[in-house]
Amino acid sequence: MSLRATVRVRRGDHVVNVAFEVADGETVALVGRNGAGKTTVLEALAGLVPLESGLIELDDRRIDALGPDRRGIGLAFQDGALFPKMSVRENVAFAARARRTPAPKARARADALLAELAPGVNPDARPPQLSGGERQRVALARTLASAPRVLLLDEPLAAVDASARPGLRTMLRDTLAAFPGPSILVTHDPVEAMTLADRLVLLEDGRITQIGTPHDVRNHPATRYAADLVGVNLFEGTLEPTDAGAGRLRTSDGELTVAWPDGLARSMTPVVRATLAPAEITIHAERPEGSSRNAFQGSVVEVAIAGSRARVRLATTPPLVAEVTTGSVERMGLAPGTEVWASCKAVEIRLMVPGFEPDTL
Amino acid sequence: MRRRLPLPILVTAVLGGVLVVLPVIALVARAPWGRFGKVLGSEGARTALRLSFEVSLAATALSVLLGVPLAWVLARREFRGRSVLRAMVVLPIVLPPVVAGVGLLEALGRRGLVGGWLDRTWGIQLTFSTAGAIVAATFVSMPLMILAAESGFRGLDPRYEQAAGVLGASSGYTLRRVVLPMVAPQLAAGAVLAWARALGEFGATITFAGNLQGRTQTVPLRVFEQLQTDRDGAVALSLVLVAISIAVLVALRERIMGAR
Repeated sequence: MSLRATVRVRRGDHVVNVAFEVADGETVALVGRNGAGKTTVLEALAGLVPLESGLIELDDRRIDALGPDRRGIGLAFQDGALFPKMSVRENVAFAARARRTPAPKARARADALLAELAPGVNPDARPPQLSGGERQRVALARTLASAPRVLLLDEPLAAVDASARPGLRTMLRDTLAAFPGPSILVTHDPVEAMTLADRLVLLEDGRITQIGTPHDVRNHPATRYAADLVGVNLFEGTLEPTDAGAGRLRTSDGELTVAWPDGLARSMTPVVRATLAPAEITIHAERPEGSSRNAFQGSVVEVAIAGSRARVRLATTPPLVAEVTTGSVERMGLAPGTEVWASCKAVEIRLMVPGFEPDTL
Repeated sequence: MRRRLPLPILVTAVLGGVLVVLPVIALVARAPWGRFGKVLGSEGARTALRLSFEVSLAATALSVLLGVPLAWVLARREFRGRSVLRAMVVLPIVLPPVVAGVGLLEALGRRGLVGGWLDRTWGIQLTFSTAGAIVAATFVSMPLMILAAESGFRGLDPRYEQAAGVLGASSGYTLRRVVLPMVAPQLAAGAVLAWARALGEFGATITFAGNLQGRTQTVPLRVFEQLQTDRDGAVALSLVLVAISIAVLVALRERIMGAR
């Protein structure tokens, strides 16, 4: 384990009290509702808020007494916090310039990072001219330019247009995969957490309620919040082309038919992740007719009712969580053991392919 | 339809307006327009004008140099006695200038708290010297610089400074490269206000530095002296200060009068 933190911080009336570890090369998602204390944990790690008690160790060396500029921790702020009076290039070159690297060398390195992470962004532009997604790319480049040992990302997709998210998410995942040190991602978005992180740390009211892989948390959610959060169906497997415009995702416990992403070469691709929202799954008493290519038979494992909606866990192959109305539950008599069919449209399964950014508007 | 103003309000409003505007109108009406250039071109007037610009610009430079770091400390560091220090720092704005002059005399005069030591050890005498006039002008004008800079610093999102720190920048580098460029408009406004105040400084200067032509006699001091001997000269020099004041007001109209 490479980053080890036991952190107690007071923020007004709120106390954040957490302990966790992150290994080299690992990405941990710090997940929680707004106000749960996620950002406060990042700020404490980066040295921006003082610890009431606790310790932070990086490579078995205590760093909690050091200033933010000497911890070797890189933090990408939620909206980027790019310096508005500097060009994009100067922003990315800032860390090197602050350490007295000669300007030409710092700028050349900034240009190289920008070409890699923000290829569409003009290095001479000023941050206020950029879109949310572009700002986030530049902020990530600026953070990586400081060559941090630890990478902290605060809600990297929150201030980004929905249309720019898939591309940015792919870029983030590639960056996190390539980053050699520990990385921590703060988010309240379950899809983001489950597709980008190796492990989840769930934070509620300043305390950790569960730590585990997305798979663990989905199968054994410790709290109501965890259950709600990871209600998203997550698949990982190999993608292979089938007939025109379609493909098959083979996972270790079942197969799904998916829409082939526009622009992706039609060849076999390993390690593809996919998500499917529970509300997109329909439950039928009989085998469904019509256009649904994905139809799975199985029995109901659990029915959890929340208001007028119900979450239904199904022992299909692959296993699924569906969200239906309580009316449907009554009409079909859904209860543990009921044999049903579940179906979904191929286009509702969202694919995340390493190194591939879908064309977006 | 707009309602008619009640007569008492109309009368007092007009009186108030007249009181404020009349002196400026009188200066324009009584100015020696025929020999304006000649009056201002006299050696005494030229000397006073040059000295005034030197003293006020030096005082502005000192206000920026000393006031901006102080404003930064007041805005961003928490320490005991900060609110007391903040009140002390802006006191010269409301202090009667002649009192400021007496205070400077007791502090930096030849027999002052620090002035005696300065004189004995370094042979530095501020009274009756241009340096003394600069110190007096700085004393009264720096608070305006500090107020403007501090409000600029406080209005700045601290996350920019945090981001710079996490990127490995020292506080000094952050101040220079990140903070100062972002508060430049407020600093410029503060500097212009401080300069205008220094240019008009009279009471503290004449009390502390005296009224020596060519050394401490700035334009306001010369105006005061000439009133007895050469009224035209006094009015002409006054009009120069009026013109500068109007220029400052125009330059800073949004800051002083609020955005319209």
